[in-house]
Amino acid sequence: MAAIELDGVTKRFGDVTAVSDLDLTVPEGEVFGFLGPNGAGKSTTINMLLDFVRPTDGEIRVLGLDAGRESVAVRRRTGVLPEGYDVYHRLTGRKHVEFAMRSKEVDGDPDAILERVGIADAADRKAGDYSKGMRQRLTLGMALVGDPDLLILDEPSSGLDPGGAREMRDIVRTEADRGATVFFSSHVLGQVEAVCDRVGIMREGELVAEDSINGLRDAVEGGETLVITVDAASEDDLEAVRALDGVSNAATDGGTVTVTCDADTKTAVIGALEDAGVSVKDFQTEETSLEDLFIAYTEGEEVTA
Amino acid sequence: MTWTAVARKDFEDAIRSRWVAGLSALFVLLVSAAAYLVRPAPGQTISSNQILNSLFVRDALVTTLVPLLALIVAYNAVVGERESGSLKLLLSLPHSRADVVFGKVAGRAGAIAAPIAVGFLLPAAILLVVPAVNFDVLSYVGYTLLTAVLGVVFVSIAVGFSTAASSSRRAVAGAIGIYFLFVPLWGAVRFPLQLYLGMGGGPSWLPLTGQQVLRMLRLINPTGSFKIVSNAFLQGSLYTGGSVNMQVSATLMLLVWILVPPLLGLLWFQEADL
Repeated sequence: MAAIELDGVTKRFGDVTAVSDLDLTVPEGEVFGFLGPNGAGKSTTINMLLDFVRPTDGEIRVLGLDAGRESVAVRRRTGVLPEGYDVYHRLTGRKHVEFAMRSKEVDGDPDAILERVGIADAADRKAGDYSKGMRQRLTLGMALVGDPDLLILDEPSSGLDPGGAREMRDIVRTEADRGATVFFSSHVLGQVEAVCDRVGIMREGELVAEDSINGLRDAVEGGETLVITVDAASEDDLEAVRALDGVSNAATDGGTVTVTCDADTKTAVIGALEDAGVSVKDFQTEETSLEDLFIAYTEGEEVTA
Repeated sequence: MTWTAVARKDFEDAIRSRWVAGLSALFVLLVSAAAYLVRPAPGQTISSNQILNSLFVRDALVTTLVPLLALIVAYNAVVGERESGSLKLLLSLPHSRADVVFGKVAGRAGAIAAPIAVGFLLPAAILLVVPAVNFDVLSYVGYTLLTAVLGVVFVSIAVGFSTAASSSRRAVAGAIGIYFLFVPLWGAVRFPLQLYLGMGGGPSWLPLTGQQVLRMLRLINPTGSFKIVSNAFLQGSLYTGGSVNMQVSATLMLLVWILVPPLLGLLWFQEADL
């Protein structure tokens, strides 16, 4: 069964269309990264999963339940780290977790939760005195209460230092190993690559790509960039390179030649240059980075270098 | 139904606000002052009921101050969380929006009832030891409860506004408007209106006499209903002697005021995007 299913979902705020005819299915047990620049419609989509906002059109099912009519039942089995939230400044961290436990009608040890998200030593301090990162940890802790079947995390790493972001990824992985489905949004690519089974990229309210990381990389282009240091090369020397199968782009500034190509075409590229009388001093390959990939999808530019 | 979890959280949160501590102190001071001021003439004794039913306690403290303070304690209940974003944290947990609204009413009701209880019961210690005061425990505790009910009525009104308002400024405006209408404005027009209607004035198209219109207006105003119930209670004639109909209507009216404003707010809140 699908954990999340959106079918033709549109959300308009006045005459602004935040999400447009979105179809998306996340199977149970998957870690799904929901990518896109700010304002692409990621948070609006998440808010619709939680019934914070209602879709203008379309159908949403979460854990097999109607996201609007059966929202309480959905949220009983879902842990949420929302976007743009605040904590209760006058209540301590422990009180927050106790509140989450009473709300989800489960028993448990609040201190164990706080320990897990790394703020056990601040359990008795008022959450109003917490830093942004600590609030983020506290809210994640509240989300983990009751071992939810689904975790929805909106920009979970915002406010966290690199160490905190890594701990967040570890928690995501542990939850996934337990069998939970994890749906999280991000505009930072590094987090996604490390933990996601699959990603979807939003752009201006539409899903422009949906695939595994490797699948996306293949889809963007050739995959590798070959940077070759030479004695001297001219545009003419590149003709033979460009003619090769698997080469999508080649350029030179005289001293280096940059070629975008399939991984198994590299030898042929170097051979073609030497045949043209160019002496190759050194070469290295770079994978097309996810950053390039992301920019390619969100800004619509071709991935070249 | 998780409204009890919301209520408990909200009470724990609100009780830590400086307002609640300040209000408790204020009530203690004012009720103590009343106990001191409303003294029996030398050689005579008075009942604690007379103190409670004095102008100072009933009109100045209870029906003027309690509504205002209840509105202050509650106007931000929902819209404040909406503006800060903690409402998202709240609704990330499995609460329905009705749980939120009624949990808020209950939590803030506790937050106004607590200072009222402290404010009345601490000065009771003074009244107990003053020999010239005949302390009627049952009436005193009962009156304290009734005062808390009046506080809850205005909490409900404020939560209703707080639920429907898109900004806390609007919620404040609504709360102040209601207060102004029911307390100072009503206080100012009541006497002239009484005279006018008593002398046969009033809209001729209404199939009611002037007296009936006046009674209706008194009932509709929660402070009016409160006075009808509390006066009868202190005279020991609640639901037994005097105008029983009026007392029952007044009691029902208070109940309506507790239930209807949050329900109206909820109607709007159910449909709202956060």
